[in-house]
Amino acid sequence: MLRAFGAAALVGATILVAGCGGSSSSGESESQTAAGISTAPPPTPTACETKGGTLKILSAGDVDHIDPGQGYYSFTYEITRPTQRALLSAKPGTVELQPDLAAGMPQVSKDGKTVTVKIRQGVHFSPPVNREVTSADVKYAIERGFATSVANGYAAAYFGVIQGAPKTAPQFPEPISGIETPDPSTLVFHLTQPEAVFVTALSMPLTAPVPEDYAKQYDDQTLSTYGLHQVASGPYMIKSNAAGSINGVGYKPNRLIDLVRNPNWDSSTDYRLACADEVRFEEGFQDPTVVAKTILSGSADANGDIPPPPAELRSILSSSTESKELFFTPTGGARYIALNTTEPPFDNANARKAVAYVLDRNALRLTRGGAVDGTIATHFIDPSFGDKGFEQAGGTGFNPFPSPDFSGDVTKAKELMKAAGYADGMYTGPQVTVVADNVPPGSDTAKVVAADLAKIGIKSRIISVTHATMYTKYCNVPKNEPNICPNVGWLPDFHEPQAILDVPFNGKNIIPSNNSNWPLLNDPAINAAMDRAEKTLDPSKRYEQWGKIDQQVTETASAIPWLWEDYPTLFSSRVVPALMVDNEGAPDVDFMSVR
Amino acid sequence: MSVHVETEASRRPSPGGPPGGLAAAQRALAGVLGSSMLRYVVRRILWGIVLLFVVSGLTFLIFYAFPAADPAALRAGRQATPQLIEQIRHSLGLDKPVYDQYWLYMKGLVLHFDLGYSYENNVSVTSQILSRLPATIALTAGAFVVWMLVGIPVGILSAIKRRSVVDRTTMGASLLAISAPVYWLGLIALLLFSQDIGELHFLPGAGSYTPLTSDPTQWFFSLLMPWFVLAAAFAAFYARMVRGNLIDVLGEDYIRTARAKGLSERRVILRHGLRAALTPVVTMAGLDLGVLLGGAILTETVFNIPGVGRYAYDSIINSDLPAIQGTVLFGAFFIIVANIVVDVLYAFLDPRVRY
Repeated sequence: MLRAFGAAALVGATILVAGCGGSSSSGESESQTAAGISTAPPPTPTACETKGGTLKILSAGDVDHIDPGQGYYSFTYEITRPTQRALLSAKPGTVELQPDLAAGMPQVSKDGKTVTVKIRQGVHFSPPVNREVTSADVKYAIERGFATSVANGYAAAYFGVIQGAPKTAPQFPEPISGIETPDPSTLVFHLTQPEAVFVTALSMPLTAPVPEDYAKQYDDQTLSTYGLHQVASGPYMIKSNAAGSINGVGYKPNRLIDLVRNPNWDSSTDYRLACADEVRFEEGFQDPTVVAKTILSGSADANGDIPPPPAELRSILSSSTESKELFFTPTGGARYIALNTTEPPFDNANARKAVAYVLDRNALRLTRGGAVDGTIATHFIDPSFGDKGFEQAGGTGFNPFPSPDFSGDVTKAKELMKAAGYADGMYTGPQVTVVADNVPPGSDTAKVVAADLAKIGIKSRIISVTHATMYTKYCNVPKNEPNICPNVGWLPDFHEPQAILDVPFNGKNIIPSNNSNWPLLNDPAINAAMDRAEKTLDPSKRYEQWGKIDQQVTETASAIPWLWEDYPTLFSSRVVPALMVDNEGAPDVDFMSVR
Repeated sequence: MSVHVETEASRRPSPGGPPGGLAAAQRALAGVLGSSMLRYVVRRILWGIVLLFVVSGLTFLIFYAFPAADPAALRAGRQATPQLIEQIRHSLGLDKPVYDQYWLYMKGLVLHFDLGYSYENNVSVTSQILSRLPATIALTAGAFVVWMLVGIPVGILSAIKRRSVVDRTTMGASLLAISAPVYWLGLIALLLFSQDIGELHFLPGAGSYTPLTSDPTQWFFSLLMPWFVLAAAFAAFYARMVRGNLIDVLGEDYIRTARAKGLSERRVILRHGLRAALTPVVTMAGLDLGVLLGGAILTETVFNIPGVGRYAYDSIINSDLPAIQGTVLFGAFFIIVANIVVDVLYAFLDPRVRY
């Protein structure tokens, strides 16, 4: 999920376990926390313990968008994965990709500019469409993502490299010349240039088929309503009426998403087990303690987007029985403090490095729950990437701004402030602006930052706003950008280091609005290195390059990473657990079964 | 609250009209229309409509004037280009001047009772509110019954037994109930009494709300705990208010006169004392009812009851202007209606009041 940390911060309870050491590139993490808690996922079931029954997942909020072509949020993927078959998807319990709707892995031409995908036969849409899925349905699915009526958030970023892809978004879906469908089971993508992550991006939900003959009537509206009339290609579908509408039937916004079996699903075409007859995502649970206790009582089966709070986690971990139902998964992303590199005082590299030294990262981690929260980050590529860039960046051994126990080094910070031109090592300029969340834990993080900055004389003015406002009105808008955005972070869409580093740190990605390069870092050497790495198709060379880029970015101190976050998922004892390791450890209802 | 004294002019019969049956009917109608009470009600309704316009305008202004998330950027998603965001802004009409947007919104509302569509999920706001209204009405009405049944008798008892152990105990308890935040009280109730996570496994827990039409028994039990939690602070407040009012009233000269005339104490208190003491309670009850019908946000949130309050909460979190606007207008509507009803009821409760 190449996106910023979001909803979990609103819930205020993303509490995690520190994963020390690396994990294998397969994603089958075997790391342990300092407390000896395993972050390994449960073994993925290979058969249903029982067939039938109802799974109940509790969540605080709703999907970001119910349209699978628009959804861009980890909780949304908990629903799209069992209902929509993308071309590729992660092998159960890993982050490695495998064919899903595709019959095999995509074939890439030698020049890297043509990608051919064969579509699996025998996959059918759910009612009321019912017919077999063809390559044209995938072509249309991608084309509609570019239209403003659908407004997919990543279509241009990953699929803009396709020849003929719109440079300016059309209002309604239009054909893209670079996607060919020579026959109903073949898709050919013609790219304008080699793109290292294009094949990986075929795992995004945008590549799940959408039948144009049915969806066009909904897509050709100002805001597409196809999401409310969607058809499924996976083992489950959102419960709908005879006309295909899910609104008020299986989808009640902020209340319920009810998955039932897709009668047209053929298990022989799919790797999913789909054990349960029904999956109910019950929404609106705002208290994480109530959610955790409800799951432990067996009245619900797993947490959807609302993790157990710190106190509850500690209680569960202290129980030999309950702790067996709790699993921690690396999110793959890092939380960091972004410093605006275009304005004083942080246009000065030494001033930024002083901040990197003075920050007490332990105190920062405490704002989100303390030692069970995750590993203190020293650079950006998460340990779960293993040899896909993490090791190449130096692993846990790479830390350009060390301090005893990560508690900050004021002496070193003052030396750097002197080097930045402040005579006695104390800042003397005007106060700096900090735009932060108005609720914990984000607001607490901002307070810790302000307290640490005061140690080197920097006075802060904290502007407290909602999480969404922080992004859309301040940190994402360069002209409104404050000196410090302390509540930002980035989660990868997939396990490619490019998905961690490119958007937030490549100068070419600085845009006037919706900007995610929060430090406004525009370093020609780093930009050039990223552009080279993006075109490097050889994986080992590519990961080597991104490892070095990670070091370069970290050393600029334009953004100071402080947490590699893991996500806790709690299951009731009445179900066989299964996790989407590639999706922050979300419950994988395709493989869960009632005991 | 406005209280109008009936004037001679208002009682004067309207001038004559055409003779015969038609004339009689017209006279009757004119009599009704000419009645000061009806004029008053009509005037209040018209002012209520004006007030709704003002509230809607203010909501619009607040949304634009104060820092709020950009709905077009939220709709566009994390990696959307600025061009896409601007095109979405155009599609949603968000690039129009605020007064244009307001005009279009009000036109849809007035002509079609259309509160617009959610930016988040394209679902009609009107349908969302209407589908959630039964839960809110059920929660509010049940809690209202509980707090009136508890608050008024306790208040009377405390007033009669002033400075007794009963008085001190009930007033002490009421102070606790007023002080306890409803969110905290709800959580404690869940941890004590809910069937899934409670110590006593007594009542259905959070998220158990069942519509009345689906299962009346389950509906009743699923709301029992929210009713009492929501009613707790209100009951305590009403008990204290009734007690205070009744003590004041019982010290009035006309009460002393009633007693001197030999009326029974029961009759003195219930017929002469309580009637006057309850008049302000009616005002408060009406307003409280109106406010809660607009959405009991905290109670609906802690018990996960899919009511209008929860919808308002979610809308604010998602910067969903049409939904925010819809829920605000909806809440304002209930408060205004409650105000009018209370003012009219005054005339029946207090013989001194005339319109």
